[in-house]
Amino acid sequence: MALNRDKVGSTYPSYTYEVSREKIREYATALSETDPRYFSDGDDCVAPPTFAACFTVTKGGAAVFADDELGAHPAVVHGSQRYTYGDRPLRPGDVLTCTPRIADISARGANEFLTIEVVCEDAEGHHLVTSEAVIVLLGSAPSTTDSEVGAAQEVSS
Amino acid sequence: MSTARSIAVGDELSPVTAESNLTTSVMYAGASGDMNPLHYDPSFAAQVSPTGGVIAHGMYSMGLASRMLTAFAGGPDRVVEIDIRFTRPWPLGTTSTFSGKVTAIADGVAKVALEGTNASGERILRGTGQIRV
Repeated sequence: MALNRDKVGSTYPSYTYEVSREKIREYATALSETDPRYFSDGDDCVAPPTFAACFTVTKGGAAVFADDELGAHPAVVHGSQRYTYGDRPLRPGDVLTCTPRIADISARGANEFLTIEVVCEDAEGHHLVTSEAVIVLLGSAPSTTDSEVGAAQEVSS
Repeated sequence: MSTARSIAVGDELSPVTAESNLTTSVMYAGASGDMNPLHYDPSFAAQVSPTGGVIAHGMYSMGLASRMLTAFAGGPDRVVEIDIRFTRPWPLGTTSTFSGKVTAIADGVAKVALEGTNASGERILRGTGQIRV
């Protein structure tokens, strides 16, 4: 089943995410980070840039994939990911409002490409990070005249 | 960490080499909340993985590329953007190396070409970082 192209531009309900010191530590540890600010008990504690994965990749995609009118299926891989940051890193106590949107749908060969944007702002409405994930839906393109089955080998989740 | 220093086109980043294994994969799954069993369950991976086996999270590889970029930039407060395309799966039990090079500087922002390659020299990711200089 092909994705419903009319869904491009659709926005989904915002969710909140509260940044905590312990979660920053856990994330930094998983990447063998050494910057002492990621492990600080003080006011200088900040999060590594890709900490945003904790609240954009799975949570951001959940509302979009739950939309029956979109017609998404679960055979997916993570094709690409972009993070664009505001003027300061995330820090403990930030309460983010995250709003997912379908930014684009396209097809190449047998695969479809779903671009999910998640804009994250703090309680004062300042932009802190925007996530743009391209999710590859394997084998669901409407026309497979120039099938690129091999393309599935080039992307990973 | 935020001391200004001179960055020039052609500068190369200190590379990061890392092995992915069940421990790194489970730690990244727990830390990021991405519990897709493709990244730790061999029987599940056997059915759906492009390699037939367990592979690292794409975001784990991006996280390591970001670690390298952020260290070069002088801290997360200097990172403006990271844009990565995942080009090949990274099987657990193998080593990958991440490298980068400054390609342009304009308006106080340096562009850095980023890539990750596996032990055979094949690219697992490529992309661009932008940092304040």
